[in-house]
Amino acid sequence: MLKITDLKYRYKSIDDVYTYALSVKPKEIVAILGESGSGKSTLLDLIAGFLTASDGSIKLDERELTALSAEKRPVSILFQQHNLFEHLSVQKNILLGVSRTLKSSQKDILKVHKILKEVGLERYEHTLASSLSGGQQQRVALARVLLRREPILLLDEPFTGLDAKTRMEMLDLVQKITKENNLHTIMVTHELQDCERIADKIYLMKEHQLVEQ
Amino acid sequence: MFSGLARVKGSVLPGVFIALGLLVFAFLLFFTLYTAQDSRTTPPIDSRIYGLLKFTLYQAFLSTVLSLGVGTLLAWSLAHQPGFKGRSVLVALFSSSLVLPTLIVAFGLIGIFGRNGWINQIGLTLFDYSFGSYLYGLFGILLAHTYLNASFASRSLLHAFESIPNEKYKLAKSLNLSTFQRFIYVELPALKPTLLSIGSTIFLLCFTSFAIVLILGGSPAYNTLEVAIYEAVRLDFDIALALKLALVQLAISTVLVIFSSNFRTGLGNLKTDDTVLPWREPKHLHYIQTTVILLFAFFFILPLVVIVVDGLDADFGHFFKDPLFIRSSITSGIVAVVSSLFTVIIALFLSDAKRNFTLEYRLGNSMFSRFFNLLISFSGNLYLAIPALVMGLGFFLMSQKFEMPMNIWSVLALLTANVLMSLPFALSVLGPVMQKTAQRYDKLAFSLGLTTLQRWVYCEFPYLRSSLGYVLALSFCFSLGDLGIIALFGSEDFSTLPWYLYQLMGSYRTDDAAGVALILLVIILSVFILLPKLFRSRLAENN
Repeated sequence: MLKITDLKYRYKSIDDVYTYALSVKPKEIVAILGESGSGKSTLLDLIAGFLTASDGSIKLDERELTALSAEKRPVSILFQQHNLFEHLSVQKNILLGVSRTLKSSQKDILKVHKILKEVGLERYEHTLASSLSGGQQQRVALARVLLRREPILLLDEPFTGLDAKTRMEMLDLVQKITKENNLHTIMVTHELQDCERIADKIYLMKEHQLVEQ
Repeated sequence: MFSGLARVKGSVLPGVFIALGLLVFAFLLFFTLYTAQDSRTTPPIDSRIYGLLKFTLYQAFLSTVLSLGVGTLLAWSLAHQPGFKGRSVLVALFSSSLVLPTLIVAFGLIGIFGRNGWINQIGLTLFDYSFGSYLYGLFGILLAHTYLNASFASRSLLHAFESIPNEKYKLAKSLNLSTFQRFIYVELPALKPTLLSIGSTIFLLCFTSFAIVLILGGSPAYNTLEVAIYEAVRLDFDIALALKLALVQLAISTVLVIFSSNFRTGLGNLKTDDTVLPWREPKHLHYIQTTVILLFAFFFILPLVVIVVDGLDADFGHFFKDPLFIRSSITSGIVAVVSSLFTVIIALFLSDAKRNFTLEYRLGNSMFSRFFNLLISFSGNLYLAIPALVMGLGFFLMSQKFEMPMNIWSVLALLTANVLMSLPFALSVLGPVMQKTAQRYDKLAFSLGLTTLQRWVYCEFPYLRSSLGYVLALSFCFSLGDLGIIALFGSEDFSTLPWYLYQLMGSYRTDDAAGVALILLVIILSVFILLPKLFRSRLAENN
């Protein structure tokens, strides 16, 4: 279980202290709702290690993550945009999840085939990322999540801007991936509809505090 | 689409006429040069001309590679050290390299690396050893070109670094990419358009470089085409050879301009924001980046310090009484003011016409829009295709054909060269702002039925103000500090401050030269810093 206890982040001034506490079980999707600038994405940056908490702890199955640097945390993250390197092909973008030098074994390439099939993009393996639609790009990013097999999946409003049909498809895909791969998924959004569709638990960011709904 | 669109068509005419006028001027110049050739006296393109061409291209290539390499390293260091104390001052200082007169840079570098420069003086004092005059030749040329262009490139590259979305850095971090891999996957693709654009501009500037090569070249073995034209006209009085060189230079510059126009993007009045990386760089990188910034800052500031220190020792009373100094100062001031005003007016008309032919809902979808767009772009960048000395030779030949006092020809040549020199920069600053203003306010302005004057007062000027100040300062500084065409037309009767300074350096009046260099440096930096402040507009900066 992913357990965040009394995690604090001091933003700019001493008065702006954000406090977070939540728990996420395997196969569970937790949604964080809140207004723009309320500190939702800050929580994801803290879990991913992009920001350093001033207090509190982040534990995954009793393993302390708080002191680990970003690259050592068992986390995959998806942003609203800029999840791919546009000048690389779909295959290379996914392979970067396992091989930083892009030197990959036949086994890795077969895995990429399989995963692309899973997300419905098998025809686009050698297409440049820049020529894909917004929804397809997010699918590729999700495919990389599958290949990396990190137990924590963070979603920072990744489907904002997509048309309603594609967004629903993507949400269903996230749910499927979470359940099938035992992921601990936290999704930041401002769409109540998204939460109702896939979230097991909903938290609201209110006055710098995370409140369970 | 809009009821007031008809008015737009009228506003196109001045820009189109100016563009056509510039092209007619270019054709006249080419015609004058071409018809002045005499098959009996004109030398063939021989091994000497090939040698000159080869060295010109070689030094331009090396200068470009060095400038881009150093500029990228510097921009990378600045981008990843947003907390570096004095960073914004350094960035502003580096951007001033754009207006630093090449003559002053050469003078400053001689003060450090020359035979009697600081390095040799330190060597003699501490070790009783002098390195001699190692500066002159390819080393000096590359050093000066890198000094000027690496700092200029770093500004644009820093902007490119800072345009990289934060998410890309977070992604690289979460994928555990190394610093090198981060550079290859995240940063290099973002820098590529700027590297191509700035690289092609630097190559052209170095290909046509004159003052640096003239002063630091040292011997004919290190001459470029521009310097060879100057020497053929002023020293050897060999107009036939100068003509041949000018036509070769013209042909190659035109090919280079057409080739590089594919890469060129707007320069813009670049404002840089601090990159907000959510984490600190590892310690070893922090030290490398800080060292790079400090080393380059030292390398950049030292020649300026030399000019200030040596300049303060000068006997100002001595040359203040020199009538040639007074005449040169007055001529320089008047020419710079007139040139910068002309540049701004011409750039405004050209940019206005260009936006009309670019925006689809204006005239952008007309049959000829692409053609007129090309026409305006090419005429605005004429200076890159027709270097100063080639233009100067054209004016010189025209002065012999058409009777008019030589001083009038000199003023005409100088004003034309200054305006054309500033125009590419002016267009790349004003063009994008004017286009953005049109996109934002066209609907409102047309629906309110604003007249051209009302539109200028309410919509255009408030947003253009800052850029106008920047362009005025830029073209004033370019004009004041240029030692290009004046090298052909300069005389006791007609002289500018850079020409006067060059004469002092040539006659080994080093103390006086240091004083004049300091005056020129102070005027140029003051205008470049203060003039844009007078035009500063919060409205424009927020947009």
